[in-house]
Amino acid sequence: MAAWVKGGATDADTAIEAAASLLAKARAPVIAGLSADVAAIRAAYDLAGRLGASVDTAGSVATYAELGSLSRVGALTTTPAEAVGRADVILVVGDAAWQAPLLKRLIDAKPTRGRTAGSDRVLLAVGANAAASLAWPAEGGLPEAVGVLRAYARGHLAGDALPGQIAARLADAQYGVLLYDAAELGEAGIEMLQGLAMDLSEATRCFTLASGDVGQDRAVVPVSAWLTGQAPRSGFGRRVPEHDPWRFDAARQVAAGEVDAVLWLGAVPVPRPDWLSAVPSIALVADGEAKDAEVVIAVGQPGRDHGGVLWNEQRAALTFWPASAPSDLPSAAAVMAALRERVGTHQAASRSEPAC
Amino acid sequence: MSTLILRAAPPERLDFLAVNPLALSGLSQSEAERLNVGTTRTGVRLGDCFAVKLDGSDTLIIEGGHERLDRVGAALSEGTIRVTGDVGQRLGAGMAGGSLTVTGNAGPYAASGATGGTILIEGDAGDHAGGAVYAAKAGLDGATLIIRGTAGDHLGDRMRRGTIVAGRAGAFAGSRMIAGTLAALAVGDHPGLGMRRGTLVLGSHGRMAATFVETGTHDLVFLRLLATALRGLSPEHAELLGRPLRRYSGDLATIAKGEIWVAA
Repeated sequence: MAAWVKGGATDADTAIEAAASLLAKARAPVIAGLSADVAAIRAAYDLAGRLGASVDTAGSVATYAELGSLSRVGALTTTPAEAVGRADVILVVGDAAWQAPLLKRLIDAKPTRGRTAGSDRVLLAVGANAAASLAWPAEGGLPEAVGVLRAYARGHLAGDALPGQIAARLADAQYGVLLYDAAELGEAGIEMLQGLAMDLSEATRCFTLASGDVGQDRAVVPVSAWLTGQAPRSGFGRRVPEHDPWRFDAARQVAAGEVDAVLWLGAVPVPRPDWLSAVPSIALVADGEAKDAEVVIAVGQPGRDHGGVLWNEQRAALTFWPASAPSDLPSAAAVMAALRERVGTHQAASRSEPAC
Repeated sequence: MSTLILRAAPPERLDFLAVNPLALSGLSQSEAERLNVGTTRTGVRLGDCFAVKLDGSDTLIIEGGHERLDRVGAALSEGTIRVTGDVGQRLGAGMAGGSLTVTGNAGPYAASGATGGTILIEGDAGDHAGGAVYAAKAGLDGATLIIRGTAGDHLGDRMRRGTIVAGRAGAFAGSRMIAGTLAALAVGDHPGLGMRRGTLVLGSHGRMAATFVETGTHDLVFLRLLATALRGLSPEHAELLGRPLRRYSGDLATIAKGEIWVAA
């Protein structure tokens, strides 16, 4: 097992001891990233509960844009497989969704299932794009643009301007799909897009589909819901899970100087945020390097080094992925369980001294 | 007049939900000092950070605020709280009555879900002032929120009832508004985006969404009644209604019963 403490290679036990000591003396530790298999996410919540830490995910900007809208208006969604099989009209909202691998599959194939089987697939765009048959540049920003489409779809605006034509094509579709990137569109835009899908579904079928997930956020949301009854950004400082998307935003907490230790969990590779270097940190990462954090422990990548349950974007479900190249690297769940044991042997920070 | 005097910057965010005149009136000096207001595993007691002086009255003065004081005056039902300095998030959240004054700046979600009483912020307010917190049905819900300085983005987001008066505000003021009244001397882009009902009175604004349509100038009795109501809160805002006004109706993406009045 590869491990480093302050840049120097060491053995697993020393690294776990160093990590446990850092976490045990912290006032407000954070467990962030959570890009891992379900067993490791569970272990992260167990450790957070033991420590009184708060939790945040790698893709929480997009996740909370989705959850904020979901909590208010609900959602009409479809899966990538259904979209590829049935969609006869695709509306791509914004620029980021064009980079999604899913879009290439949608462009390369025609509908094969249901009433739309054999028909052509039409591509529409909000935001300038040459690949679409109708593209509306939408200068006022995406939330406003989606709102304009919705106004046309409801009949509150009329005419044959570009957005009117796009709304008419969606209304004529047998299976429309609105493809978007949650982080780019934001909560206000997603809420408007869900409203558009719901308005169109009064007369035909129209669904939304988010592309471009970061890390394993879609696995974290159900795991945190079944463990804490809350969404991912929860804190255990007061021994009960408290959900507060603003207070437990890890980037905000670091910027405000509220955090004194971070454990970054990246068993499924995900870009590390810049703020990570601003606080004493522990990294449990696949393919780790000494410079990643103060304490680095290399862990196996689920689905490669060991089996694990991960979010399957294709099937829109949690599925088991067997190891493709088994190795003896420890799983993140096992390292975190060891950390949890070790933290228990340390004296917790005491508030007996005056805090101010 | 009970007072809390801040001794040093809090080492962590503090939760002041349980610190209000009514709750303190039932506590002895030592009980109040032992109130746990910390939010981390370590915890902080009220007496750790504040010099506490109680007299059982319905007025509480917090001398020396800090941006880490969360939920000051939250769920306040009666009495007065005055903070000289800044406060953190959710100032007066869910407040039902009484009066709350902050001489400095407030963090995000001030007056969220407040159903009654008056909240005055003499400095600036963060994003989502009078707006809804995650998964809440509504933002401001009947209280009066006055911001003398500048409010952040999403002022009055999803507000349902009550009045907001702000000096300036950022983008998306009055977005997704359900009902209520919001007056501001100047706001950023996209005022009222996604609003269903409600009234915005603006001195000036950034980009107006294409889903709002101008419906001309009007001289309505309602506007004079609104001016009278606003005069008590801020004469400057009441004067907006004395100027020629253009009316926009929207948001056409929704049921479009909202209105935005823009002073010329």
